[in-house]
Amino acid sequence: MALFPLTSNFQEDFVLQLVAVDTDNNMDEVAAAAAVHSVGRRVKARPGVLRVRRQGASEPFARDLKVADAGLRPMECVEIYWEGSTAHLREPRH
Amino acid sequence: MTVLNRLDWYNIARDTNWTPTYVSDKDLFPEELTCAFGLPAEAFEEYDEPYKTTYPEYVKVQREKDAGAYSVKAALERSKMYENASPGWLSVLKLHFGAIARGEYSASSAECRMVRFGRAPGMRNMATFGMMDEIRHSQIQLFFPHQYVSKDRQFDWAFKSYDTNEWAMIAARHFFDDMMVTRGAVGVGMMLTFAFETGFTNMQFLGLAADAAEAGDWSFSSLISSIQTDESRHAQIGGPLVQILVKNGKKAEAQKMVDISIWRAWKLFSILTGPVMDYYTPLEHRKQSFKEFMQEWIVGQFERSLLELGLDKPWFWDDFLREIDEQHHGMHLGVWFWRPTVWWDPAAGVSPAERQWLEEKYPGWNDTWGHCWDVITENALEGNMAKTLPETLPVVCNMCQLPINYTPGPKWTMRDFPLTHAGRDYHFCSEGCRWVFEQEPSRYKDHQSLVDRFLDGQIQPPDLGGALKFMGLSPGEMGDDALKFAWVEEVRADRIKKAS
Repeated sequence: MALFPLTSNFQEDFVLQLVAVDTDNNMDEVAAAAAVHSVGRRVKARPGVLRVRRQGASEPFARDLKVADAGLRPMECVEIYWEGSTAHLREPRH
Repeated sequence: MTVLNRLDWYNIARDTNWTPTYVSDKDLFPEELTCAFGLPAEAFEEYDEPYKTTYPEYVKVQREKDAGAYSVKAALERSKMYENASPGWLSVLKLHFGAIARGEYSASSAECRMVRFGRAPGMRNMATFGMMDEIRHSQIQLFFPHQYVSKDRQFDWAFKSYDTNEWAMIAARHFFDDMMVTRGAVGVGMMLTFAFETGFTNMQFLGLAADAAEAGDWSFSSLISSIQTDESRHAQIGGPLVQILVKNGKKAEAQKMVDISIWRAWKLFSILTGPVMDYYTPLEHRKQSFKEFMQEWIVGQFERSLLELGLDKPWFWDDFLREIDEQHHGMHLGVWFWRPTVWWDPAAGVSPAERQWLEEKYPGWNDTWGHCWDVITENALEGNMAKTLPETLPVVCNMCQLPINYTPGPKWTMRDFPLTHAGRDYHFCSEGCRWVFEQEPSRYKDHQSLVDRFLDGQIQPPDLGGALKFMGLSPGEMGDDALKFAWVEEVRADRIKKAS
């Protein structure tokens, strides 16, 4: 259990943001932590489930996967998007 | 006594390429400080400065310029400009003075390096005047805002900003230090005078002087015009250097220095100039959009001078052309949203009439940037002000030090450009900034961005209060919406009108 910083790229927002999560958090909790800084501030809320994927990955992480087990590097950029929406893929670079 | 014409003696008098006897030429002009790419002194003998002036002529003209600018200021001291100016215009002044005034001293030290280590006598001569120009620019741009310090503490940042870790200042300083403080004489000539001054600031100062006149701020207009005339002279130091490097087989080296400086200058421009032209300047005083200004004054002219001097368009030219349509909107939104962290009051610039202008100048604005501003506007209308403010830091680029941002909305183009170098992860805003890093990692690798410093525990307590303290922003200095959200009332009135 330790603080873990990630870079949040939230669907339809304009800026990458620092999101502090815990290594024990699962991906639903990561998505919720990221949403605090985008939804209702610059992105309209919408119904549905938020998913998290590594930048450039075609598939999201499992919703119950813990940060500690995801193989993410500190400050790695994760994309948070609404399941089922048109969410564009980005080229993986790391 | 008969006085010779200048051209009869100028070349002999300024030809100071003496033959050293006590030290070797290599010791006198070490490569690290000349940055001559190993070219011998003879290669630079062809340097022909396009603008020839002598010390007596320089002093006479400068004295007249100073007298002109200072007398306009003195005459208008009781004009109540501060009281009558739009809040957006005052923000333009605060942003300009804070970002530029002390940087001019850095520019002076850069000119000094060309004075001492330039390999061509003409270059050294022009740089001597350039050095004095930059001292004047710093002094005059500290003196003019000083009259407003007693009325508004944010004007104190004209002097204070350069010594702080305020994030926009870190960004400006990172670029200025890169091209002015840490380059040899040829590097300064290429990166500061040719790329930055000829390419960007000379034109920008022309535009800014016109904007000031349009806004009725004659004091600032005369100040900026006075500076611009110096700039247009000493900016010409770099052109002949480009030609010498190209002719002597150093085109690739010249191209790289110019490309680095253009990319970095653009990034700084996108936050310093873009928001000013498209958001802060009152709608009735806007002559052209930032994009139109860039296309007319920067892109076309710069492209011509690059090709004329034997260089190519930078490899990132297409990215650059795309970004002048987009990047500054995100910089503006970022500055406004994180407004307590800047030393000026950003004007939102999104009243109904202003949004219409933005849509006209940037088709699609309402479906992209407008989406973010819609949410902000709703929060402001409902008095939910906490939601118009941030609770975390934006991730800033490890090169330009500016928030990593892209066009929002359904297309969702935003992404990180990461790089792992020597075991450390870096994050960049673009291919361009990452490329600059890769050209010389040892130059940049140890710098910590604001986010790096936060994660390193240097910002305590680790919250907004701690960040403001780290950045040196005291109450009364932190930015707020320039119009105190008066624009929201325009939105409300517009809606009532449409509903009735």
